[in-house]
Amino acid sequence: MFIHDTILNRLKRGCETMDYPAGDAPALPDRHGGGLRVESARCAADCSACVSVCPTEAITRASGQAVALDLGRCLFCAECVRACPDRAITQTGDHRLAARLREDLVLGGTGKEQVRLAAALNERLRGLFGRSLKLRQVSAGGCNACEADTNVLGTIGWDLGRFGIQFVASPRHADGLLITGPVSKNMALALQKTYAAVPDPKIVIAVGACAIAGGPFVGHSQVSDGAGALVPVDLFVPGCPPHPLTILDGLLRLLDRLGGPSGKG
Amino acid sequence: MDYPAILLIVAACAYVAGMAGALLLRRVGRLALSVGFGLAAVGGACGFLSGVTSLATGQAAARGAVTFWSGPAPNLRLVIQADPLSCFFVTIVSMLGAAIAIYSLGYSGAYLGRKSVGLLAALYNALLLATTLTFVAGNVWVFLIAWEMMALLAYGLVTFEHEDRETRGAAVFYFIMSHIDAVCVMLGFLVLFQAAGDFSFDGLRGVGAKLSSGQRDTAFLLFVVGFGIKAGLVPLHVWLPVAHPVAPSNVSALMSGVLIKTGIYGIARVCFEFLGGPPLWWGALLLALGTVSAVLGVLYALMEHDLKRLLAYHSIENIGIIVMGLGASLMFVSTGHPVLAALALAAALYHTINHASFKGLLFLGAGSVLHATHTRNMEEMGGLVKRMPQTAMLFLLGAVAISALPPLNGFVSEWLTYQALLQGFGSTDSLLRLMFPVGGAMLALTGALAAACFVKAFGISFLAQPRSQAAERAREVPASMRLGMALLAIACLFLGLFPTVFLGWLGPVMNQLTGEALAGRLSLAGGWVLAAPGANAGSVSTAAMTLFGLSFLLVPLFLRRMLGRRAKTVRGPTWDCGLQGLTPRMEYSATGFSKPLRMIFKALFRPHREVQREYEFSPYFARSLRFESHVEEVFEERIYRPTRFWILRVSRRVRALQQGSLQVYLLYIFLTLLGLLLWAV
Repeated sequence: MFIHDTILNRLKRGCETMDYPAGDAPALPDRHGGGLRVESARCAADCSACVSVCPTEAITRASGQAVALDLGRCLFCAECVRACPDRAITQTGDHRLAARLREDLVLGGTGKEQVRLAAALNERLRGLFGRSLKLRQVSAGGCNACEADTNVLGTIGWDLGRFGIQFVASPRHADGLLITGPVSKNMALALQKTYAAVPDPKIVIAVGACAIAGGPFVGHSQVSDGAGALVPVDLFVPGCPPHPLTILDGLLRLLDRLGGPSGKG
Repeated sequence: MDYPAILLIVAACAYVAGMAGALLLRRVGRLALSVGFGLAAVGGACGFLSGVTSLATGQAAARGAVTFWSGPAPNLRLVIQADPLSCFFVTIVSMLGAAIAIYSLGYSGAYLGRKSVGLLAALYNALLLATTLTFVAGNVWVFLIAWEMMALLAYGLVTFEHEDRETRGAAVFYFIMSHIDAVCVMLGFLVLFQAAGDFSFDGLRGVGAKLSSGQRDTAFLLFVVGFGIKAGLVPLHVWLPVAHPVAPSNVSALMSGVLIKTGIYGIARVCFEFLGGPPLWWGALLLALGTVSAVLGVLYALMEHDLKRLLAYHSIENIGIIVMGLGASLMFVSTGHPVLAALALAAALYHTINHASFKGLLFLGAGSVLHATHTRNMEEMGGLVKRMPQTAMLFLLGAVAISALPPLNGFVSEWLTYQALLQGFGSTDSLLRLMFPVGGAMLALTGALAAACFVKAFGISFLAQPRSQAAERAREVPASMRLGMALLAIACLFLGLFPTVFLGWLGPVMNQLTGEALAGRLSLAGGWVLAAPGANAGSVSTAAMTLFGLSFLLVPLFLRRMLGRRAKTVRGPTWDCGLQGLTPRMEYSATGFSKPLRMIFKALFRPHREVQREYEFSPYFARSLRFESHVEEVFEERIYRPTRFWILRVSRRVRALQQGSLQVYLLYIFLTLLGLLLWAV
């Protein structure tokens, strides 16, 4: 019988949920280089090799100033890593990328070599959401990559529910929104209405380059260049798409739930 | 002095005055309206007081028949008799008559300048008079005249808006059916007359004992068909959902509330008083007919989206419930259980007055909606709760009552019916005892379906957004109409909350018909708890339920005060899934709401569904879409249509006799004479 088999199978296989965050984080796949590090001190004075190869114009360099890489717009294609003659841009292999402020995602300059990781919510919101955070997902023109990676968090390997974080069907039941996609014009009203329908206090999480800044669609007439144009965003999770670990890290960072060894730093 | 009897005469005078006044003043519509319906309201109030005080003081039981006019022959006397059973039904007709008359002061204003309101008011008064006379008739002659007057006057009122083809057809159908019933009733009385030799009700009392069993059964069946047509028992019901909706709504309320109850009165009077000592199968037949009527009535009601037709089908359902009680009572009489018989009869009579009050209320509510939106189609209503809040609340109260939800009156009478039915299983060894639990189960099904039906009726008509411009422009109805409805709502509340008081008044009626008044056996705790007699019987207190419910309401209020002091309230729009706004096209339709039940009972409904799509690329992007769905009306299609077909066919053959030639007619006369002579020889 199907139910019988399922239960037996489950018993045989035991607990398959990962130890993280109590134990070590799972390794990123080989092709995923992790975050980026920009050491503008290494740059040659008039080099702009990286600027021209970036498909989303995430890298800028005003004349005479340090190079600036906006991780919010970055697709993590690593063209700039390959193009840089001075190894000023390197891959870190680190999954931790989420930030609270938009400018914390801009790399370059001294002290800003890497992303400034997200701080926890204030005490009051931690008290409210720390052990129970219900999110409504809004795919505002997303390609389903970010949605798929968010969905992975619900599987037994990740088991988002053990942190008290769940996705709910109605914004009336939600504490916040998780937005993916560049917010196309046709979804702008829906996003605003959904935001209005969530009771206060509420938080907004933008997942993926599109939701942060429009991603590959930046500047297009039919998109709003990210959720920030319409609603106040509390957490930015960069990536195209972000690895599930990156999203989970961002969520737990926000709730101050990272107790394990990988939480430090 | 018998003051209640005097009040009854005053009521009759008020009806006559109202009739005459409305006719005399018919040129001045507004005045005719006020005088006609005003006097009807006065008459109704007097009749109501007379009926209630007669029952409450027990004066009715002591009264004999009174002869007002001795007439040319012993059987042609004008004899009036206001015994408890009569007084009970007079109470119903007067209560409803008064409330509807007040309602009509506002409702009939819509006819001013268009139709003769004076005629409407006069017919209304005459109908009240005829109905009251039917209930207090003391001999067959008066009864049949009043019965016929009632049918004719009701025909006149049904056909009031005769410009409409549908109305004329419905009125003629009603006319034919009510004459078939009059013929059956007349024949039934003739069978009784053979043995009694007397047409007075006093003379007919207990006449069943003098009849052979064949004659008794014949008379019983004739009365069941005759009174069954009037009451709308399945399968004799088909005229009811046709005729009731097309009448003006105040008349519909009177017809559904009272006129069909004359059939119940007839069955009660004849079966309990005249035929007496019934065999078991009489009660079983009535119980079966009642069960079938209840279930089929509510099932067909569920499929309706014409608000008044829906209510008309619910009348069939409720008549079914009443007849279930009567049938059970007759079965108990024949098995020799007077206490149970009185209990079942009390349930039936209680449901009779309940149905009059809530169905009157609901029909008046439907009339208010019709008055405000000019449509009976529920699919074109919606959003009325915001535009006519008081009407909506009153309609909701009626809907809760008819759905038999505590603490309103429908619950009390259906509870009594359950108590009688559930105790019935042990009352006899005959296999027919199986009918009691089956009837109880069917009653439960009926109650659930009725609740579903009124969720639909109230939800689709009153909630959400208006589906048409007419519904959007609807406004609250005049105060007189609301007052009329409110009076019936008060009756529903009273009958629901104080059942033991009312059952005390019913005592003389039960005593008259079953010889058992159940005095003091139905109430516990000083009248606050209703208890059924019997070892395994239950008890219930609607007043306590209400208090309990209200105190539960206090808990969230208290918590809100205590915990929510600092919380701020935010009002937002209805969550619409982020769409550009909700439109009436997205609403649940009446047809859609009832689809699951249509599928479950598809063997009965034989639903027919047709969808036509025109599209270029994909059926999901249709350019035009046509949807058609209807259910088959089994009784009309399978019984009445073939019957009508054969009658017409035979008539066409017979018409060959009519040659239009004098010689042929002379030949007919000659042949007839010859035949008669041969027969005489």
